[in-house]
Amino acid sequence: MELIILLIVVAVLAFWVVSIYNKLVALKNRHENGFSQIEVQLKRRYDLIPNLVETAKAYMAHERETLEAVIAARNQAMAGLEAAAGNPGDGAAMKELAGAEGILSNAMGRLNVVMEAYPDLKANTNMMQLTEELTTTENKVAFSRQAFNDQVTEYNTYRASFPPILFASMFGHPTDAELLEFEDSAEIQAAPKVSF
Amino acid sequence: MNFFQAQDQARGKTRLLIFLFVAAVVSLVALTNLLVAVSMGFGLGPDAVAAQPPELWLLISASVVGVIAVASLFKFLTLRGGGRVIAESLGGQPIHQNTQNPQQRQLLNVVEEMAIAAGLPVPPVYLIPEPSINAFAAGYSQDDAVIGINQGTLDLLNRDELQGVVAHEFSHILHGDMRINIRLIALLSGILFIGMIGYGLLRGSAFSRSKDRGQQVVFALGLIIVGYGGTFFGNLIKAAVSRQREFLADASAVQFTRSNEGIANALKKIGGHATGSEIQAKAAEESSHMFFGSIKSFSRFMATHPPLEDRIKALQPQWQGALSENSSSAAVAGTAGFAATPPAAATSADQVVSQIGQGQIETAATLLRSCDTTLASAAHDPYEARGLIYAMLIDPNPEIAQAQLDKVHAQAEPGVPAYTVQLLPLVRASSPSQLLLLLEMAMPTLKELSFPQYKRFSSNAAELIVFDQQVDTFEWVLHRVMTKELYAHFERPHRSVGRIGSFRKLQNEAQSLLSVIAHRGPSAEQSYAAGAALLNLARPLSSLADFDYEHLNQALGELRNLKPLQKQQLLEACAAVALADGQMHSEQYALLHGIAATLDCPLPLTNEQYDTP
Repeated sequence: MELIILLIVVAVLAFWVVSIYNKLVALKNRHENGFSQIEVQLKRRYDLIPNLVETAKAYMAHERETLEAVIAARNQAMAGLEAAAGNPGDGAAMKELAGAEGILSNAMGRLNVVMEAYPDLKANTNMMQLTEELTTTENKVAFSRQAFNDQVTEYNTYRASFPPILFASMFGHPTDAELLEFEDSAEIQAAPKVSF
Repeated sequence: MNFFQAQDQARGKTRLLIFLFVAAVVSLVALTNLLVAVSMGFGLGPDAVAAQPPELWLLISASVVGVIAVASLFKFLTLRGGGRVIAESLGGQPIHQNTQNPQQRQLLNVVEEMAIAAGLPVPPVYLIPEPSINAFAAGYSQDDAVIGINQGTLDLLNRDELQGVVAHEFSHILHGDMRINIRLIALLSGILFIGMIGYGLLRGSAFSRSKDRGQQVVFALGLIIVGYGGTFFGNLIKAAVSRQREFLADASAVQFTRSNEGIANALKKIGGHATGSEIQAKAAEESSHMFFGSIKSFSRFMATHPPLEDRIKALQPQWQGALSENSSSAAVAGTAGFAATPPAAATSADQVVSQIGQGQIETAATLLRSCDTTLASAAHDPYEARGLIYAMLIDPNPEIAQAQLDKVHAQAEPGVPAYTVQLLPLVRASSPSQLLLLLEMAMPTLKELSFPQYKRFSSNAAELIVFDQQVDTFEWVLHRVMTKELYAHFERPHRSVGRIGSFRKLQNEAQSLLSVIAHRGPSAEQSYAAGAALLNLARPLSSLADFDYEHLNQALGELRNLKPLQKQQLLEACAAVALADGQMHSEQYALLHGIAATLDCPLPLTNEQYDTP
C-alpha cells in the first residue's frame, strides 16, 4: 500500500522535473531560432556593403585604403556570423561576432567621414539608395538583436531561477546564453528622441 | 461538411472517445485488482487474499485512476502549449515571413492564400529537416495552430502538389482534428504510463532481496501487460479515427483547391520516392496521426493512414496504379496554372459563411496579388509590419493625423516612424478589403516579436486607436483581430466554451449585433428584417446613432458562448443583413470580419464584391 502511495509521489515529482526539462529545451530552441532573424538582416547588410564600395570607388580613387578596410572588416564580420549562426548564445562566438561588427562599424564610420569630401558621390542616386537601405537594415539588425536578447534573457532568467537551477546543468544547460551586444547598443537602448 | 458541422461532430467524437477511455480505465482498474489478487495468492495463498480489507482494493483502484489522470493531464498540458511546442519537438525551425529563399517564399505564399481563402488566421510555418515527403498540422485551436513541412516536400513537389498538401493540412485545422489528436495522445500516454511503472518496478525488483520478490515480479509483469496491452488497444482506436479523418482531409483538399491532380500527384510521388513519407525524429511516433503521409509502415489495423493506393483511388477512380518514379529530380514549377471557370458571385448568406467554396483560393491569390507590393513586403517583415499597422490607424483628418504621427515619433522604436510616414499614402490608396488582407498577413509576422517588443507595439496601437476619443469600424476590427491572434499568442489564449444551444437567452445581444450591421448600410429596417427572420427574432431594429463598440463587445462576449451550429446561424443572419440590398458594403464586410474573429469562426472569402463603397 505504501508502495503505491510512494509511486504516485514519485510520479508527480517526475512529471514536475520533466516539465522543467521541457521548458528549458523550449526556451533554448526559441532563442536559437531567434538568431536566424538577425542572420537574415546581417547577411542583407553584408550584401549591400560591396555594392556601396563599388559605387564609391568610381568617385574616390585616392581612398583605396579606407575602402579596402571596409571590405576586409565586412569579410571578417561575415566569418564571425557563420561561426555564431552554428552556435547562437555561445559566449565566444557571440563576442567574436560583436567584435567583428564593431570593427566593421568603425570602418563604415570612417568611410562616411571621408565621403563628406565628395559632394558628387553623396548626390549620386545609386549611392543615396544604398545608404538609405543600409540605414534601414541597420535598424532592422538592432531590432532583431533586441528580440534575440529578450529571448536569451528569458532563458537565462528561467535557468537561474529556483528550482530549475538545481537541474539545469544535469539537463545540458550548464551556462547562461550570451547576449549579442554591439558597440552602438547605448544609442539603441536610449530612450527614443522626442520631436514635436 | 462545413466548419460548423465539423466542429459540432468533433465534439460528438470527443464524447465518444471519452466514453471509450472511461471503459478502458474501468477495465484497467479491474485488471490491476485481479493482478494484485493473483500475485498475492501466488505468495501467500488464496485465504490471505480473501482476508484483505476492502480498503485495499479501493486504494488500488484509486491509485490506478490517479496515475492515469495525472499522466494524461500532464501530457495534455504540455501539448496544449500550442502547435509550436510540437513542431519544435520534431526539430522544426520557423520559416521567417521575410525569407529570401524562393522555395520557402513559395510555401508561405501557398499557406497565406489558403488561410485567407478559408478565413482562418495565417499559421506560422515550420520547416522539418527531413528528406522525405510529409507535412503536419498541430495546435490546440486555430489561433495557435502551426503547419510543419518537410524539406523533402519543398524539394520534390511542384506548386500544385504543395497546394494540395497544404489544403489537406488546413482541413485538419478547419475540422478540429488537432484537438481530438491532442486528447488522444494525452489519454494514451496515461495508459502507457501504467506500463512504464511496471517496467520500472521490474528493474527495481532485480536488485531487491526481500522475500516477496517473486510477488513483486509477477505484479510488475502484470502492470506491463496491462499498460502496454491498453496502449495497443488504444492505438487501434487512434488509428481507426485517424484513417477516417485522412479520407475527409483528402476530400476537403480537392474541394478547397478545385483540383484532384495536385494532391493525387503528391501521393503518387510519396509512393515513388525512396524514403516515401518516413520521419526519422523519435518524437514523431506519438503524433504519427497528425502527418500528411504515414511516418512508417504499420500493419493494416495499426496504420494511422489508409494505404496510399486507396487514397489515390478515392481521389482518381480511373487511376491505373502508376506511381511517379522520377520524383527524385526536383520539379519546382512556377505559379499555379488555374484554368477553370471564374468563381460564381456569392449572394446568399450561407455561401459567405459556411465553407471554403470552389475558387476561393484563386480569389485569395488574385486579391493578394492586387495588394501593393511595398505594403505586402512590409506585412512580411517584423520591423516594417509595425509601421504598416500604425499607418492603418492614422486618421484621415490632417490635424489628428499630425498629432498621431508625433505620438508615433515619440513612442515607437527608432526607424519605425519613418516607415509609417512612407507607407501612409499607399495605405490610404488601398481599399478596406485589401487592408484587412494586409492585416491578416501581418499577424504571423508580428508573432515573431519578442514579448517586450510586443508589449510596446500593442500599447502604441491601442493609444492610436483611442487617440481621437472614438473608435470607428475599421479600428474596432483591427483591435479584434489583434486581440484574437496576438493576445492569444503572447499572453493568454481564450477559449470559447460553447454551451448555449438556443438564442432564447441571447435575444438582446443578437438584436444589438444585427442592428449595428444594419445601420452601416442603406435601408437599415429592411436589412435588419432579413437577418432577424433567419433567427426568428421578434425584436425590432434598435436605434443606434453611433458605432458603440463597447456595447458590441459586450454582446459578442455573450454570443461567443453559443454552440457551433448556432454560431453558424448567427453569422448567416449577420451576412443576410449585410447582403439584404444585394451588395456587400466594405464597412459591413469589415464588421463581419471582426465579428467572425471574435466568435472564433472563419469567414471565407467569396468574391470581390466587398469593395463596393
